[in-house]
Amino acid sequence: MALNVDFRLKAPENTPVWVDEAKCKSCELCVDFCPTGVLVMVPDPHNILGQMVKVAHPEYCIGCKECELECPDFCIFVAERDEYKFKKLNEVKKLKGEQ
Amino acid sequence: MAFNYDYYLRTEKMPTLWCWGCGDGIIMKAMIRAFAKLGWDKNDICIVSGIGCSGRFSSYIDANTVHTTHGRTVAYATGIKLANPDKHVIVVAGDGDGLAIGGNHTIHGCRRNIDLNFVLINNFIYGLTNSQVSPTTPKGMWTVTTQYGNIDPTFDPAELAIGAGATFVGRESVAEAQKLERLFVKGFQHKGFSFFDIHSNCHVNLGRKNKMAQAKQNMDWIEENLIPKAKWDKLSEEEKYELKKQGKFPRGVLYHKEEPEYCEEYYKLVDRVRGGK
Repeated sequence: MALNVDFRLKAPENTPVWVDEAKCKSCELCVDFCPTGVLVMVPDPHNILGQMVKVAHPEYCIGCKECELECPDFCIFVAERDEYKFKKLNEVKKLKGEQ
Repeated sequence: MAFNYDYYLRTEKMPTLWCWGCGDGIIMKAMIRAFAKLGWDKNDICIVSGIGCSGRFSSYIDANTVHTTHGRTVAYATGIKLANPDKHVIVVAGDGDGLAIGGNHTIHGCRRNIDLNFVLINNFIYGLTNSQVSPTTPKGMWTVTTQYGNIDPTFDPAELAIGAGATFVGRESVAEAQKLERLFVKGFQHKGFSFFDIHSNCHVNLGRKNKMAQAKQNMDWIEENLIPKAKWDKLSEEEKYELKKQGKFPRGVLYHKEEPEYCEEYYKLVDRVRGGK
């Protein structure tokens, strides 16, 4: 039996990654799992652990969705490939000056 | 993906009560994606959970849910499945709930081969009650009740399930969410007792005195101790024995066999006895 529910969440305009800060517990898993360094932790005195995740370099995102899959609190999302044009890994390396 | 989980969730109970970075959330997400992939209506799903951090599954997933007594998850689920053979019953238990106090029920669920999906969240410690030693705690680990290191040998839940007669046994870790989702999809489709040994992190209670206080450090340690099934099969018996002594386990689908299912056999018996009147 097919289920008549749309499970897709629409991405905001021109955004590869976005965070729902109300749900975030700042566990750093997304930062640890990101292979290209898109996300960083910044100090945030209003949060219980004193820090909050920030999308610092959206231009580095390759759309691997590791952060979304590994987030335990349903608060980080990655756009679909038809919503945002992600960079290839070698382009990101060039951008960072690693090659 | 930007997957919208809200259809299967009680969003008014969010955020979850679990600690930051807890693997239970990752397992819940993988489970929900597997439900969506299989196209299961939430009215056809029943989540049965016991006591422990894993017991919160029945609060957060918006389906038919039962929060049962400590260790008796399989006993409740057997009754639910026998009364409603068309429903998909998912049992969620921790290592203390499913192996220590409820070990008896678990092995008899496996033996009957009833069509349940038993998700064992194995975090190697009693997390909810603050770090007491559990049946799966590795040798040498610090816990509150083993202050000088644990001397009990490690328990292998997957071997127990295979030995007791489960017909689908798989093992994965929370550090590989996509593999976890694929394992759930395979196991949920299987007709018979599906046993999932999911290695999860508890960096707050296990990690804080065992040099892995960050969630990622705990996950790296879990990943170190898992060996892919294809690589494991090439090893000799002695090597397997040595690795198991060191607390290393194979990952993937460990056992899969088609056997007569308990509900079908039971209703066949009912038909036969009624017809013979």
